[in-house]
Amino acid sequence: MMAITASDVAAFVACLSAGAAREEQTLNAADARLGDGDTGSMLRRVFAAMATANAAGAATVSEAGKRLAAAAMKETGSSLGTLVATGAMTFAREAREIEGAGRDPEPADLPRIVAAMRDAISMRGKAETGDKTILDSLYAIAAALGGGEVSREVAAQAAQQALAAFRDRPCRIGRARMFPERSIGADDPGMLAAALLLA
Amino acid sequence: MKKLINAPADYVNEILDGLTSAHPGLVLGGESGRCISRREPALQGRVGIATGGGSGHLPLFTGYVGPGFADACAIGNVFEGPNAQSCLDAIRAAYHGTGVLCLYGNYGGDRMNFDLAIEMAGMDDIACETVLGTDDVASAGADEAAKRRGVAGIVLLYKAAGAAAAEGRDLAAVAALAQKANGATRSIGVALAPCRVPTASAPNFDIGEDEMEFGMGIHGEPGIWRAPIAPADKVADEMVDRLFADLKPGRGDRVMPLVNGLGATPLEELFILWRRVERRLKDAGISHAAPLVGNFVTSMEMAGASLSLMVLDGELEALISAPASCPFWRVG
Repeated sequence: MMAITASDVAAFVACLSAGAAREEQTLNAADARLGDGDTGSMLRRVFAAMATANAAGAATVSEAGKRLAAAAMKETGSSLGTLVATGAMTFAREAREIEGAGRDPEPADLPRIVAAMRDAISMRGKAETGDKTILDSLYAIAAALGGGEVSREVAAQAAQQALAAFRDRPCRIGRARMFPERSIGADDPGMLAAALLLA
Repeated sequence: MKKLINAPADYVNEILDGLTSAHPGLVLGGESGRCISRREPALQGRVGIATGGGSGHLPLFTGYVGPGFADACAIGNVFEGPNAQSCLDAIRAAYHGTGVLCLYGNYGGDRMNFDLAIEMAGMDDIACETVLGTDDVASAGADEAAKRRGVAGIVLLYKAAGAAAAEGRDLAAVAALAQKANGATRSIGVALAPCRVPTASAPNFDIGEDEMEFGMGIHGEPGIWRAPIAPADKVADEMVDRLFADLKPGRGDRVMPLVNGLGATPLEELFILWRRVERRLKDAGISHAAPLVGNFVTSMEMAGASLSLMVLDGELEALISAPASCPFWRVG
């Protein structure tokens, strides 16, 4: 199997960044229902910083991940942004572990890496599965990647299905949990971002 | 609420600008531009102490950077935790080759960002330990003491941990000492009037002219109860009773008292409170080190006061009395 390269990582982030720029106002509007309406602008800023962090120029995949995490950290003060940086950090750590074993990360490693990112994000954000957050998207994505083909399309489809499945459920964490009746029928901004940015 | 400020958006940067210019021992820097550290760092080989928190609480957090106190402080916007980059900046600035204790108040956002920064620092082989200030007895019951938020008592933690680091103890020992100091410290506050975040159009809570709120947090988090304002002695009694109930000090014990003003309450009133606290300690057969009475942890123009007590043993008293200096507290 072909190894993943730093350029692959950079290309993937460039894609997320383009998606964040495209969907900025949609995500802001989704967040404004129960939050302060800045999710789209924050994600655009964070991913733009990550896309210009020269991850492609890194010697290893783990170094690429570290550059992405460092770039995200500089741009964010919000919790979702911190979770993006946590994801990148975990990606870097997992990649470093694989590199430490004397080989480069491969697509077949991704289900496990994504699961590790999911767990790290869960721990940092103190959310659990079923709370209706980006964590539920990550559960769906990790499961889909683990169950078959490893591709962006599969991940995007899983995020889309999770979004639809949770739409009519109440949010159980954060500020939005205080308005369960208003979160029912509304997409969680983080879950929406996962679906739109991977598309 | 009137304020002597320029553009609200410049508030934090102008505070830091003025603070570092008035106190040249502090420098502002880091990749975030939101990290205050010592101009002359501690000796190589000493454990560093990194802290951080939102703005709007001066002298906390950043005023307690100096020899024998914290080495660096990450600074957030008003009442917002510091971002992860500034936490990483503070960890790096506090690193003198041998590990960093991250010592800060127990708030969700601060924890998330410090934890991320610690992970990042770990990639550069900087070892960190975390101890959270959890002294506010009003923020959770004794059975959930780990969930309590940190308020004025953290100033005493900086002093004790800073002295332990200056003695040359290793990271595990400094962290254990900070944990012990936190376990010996409790605080309770009472708010009389709210404050206004500079970018907000209204005060952060409403309270009647003749009311006070017991146990309110330093960002205006709801307290335990609200009641008509009472004489200072009654308020002091209530504070002492609350802290005694939690700390359970015995006759012959010794404490370090801190009577803290929240910002708008005059020193006169703090001394009136202290007078009663002193009486109560004496009646309970508890001796005390020289008290701190003044503004140490504020919420801008919030009116009110807090009382903190740290139960001292020989070790803690020696550390609290060790020479140290920062812009707002000097010992020796």
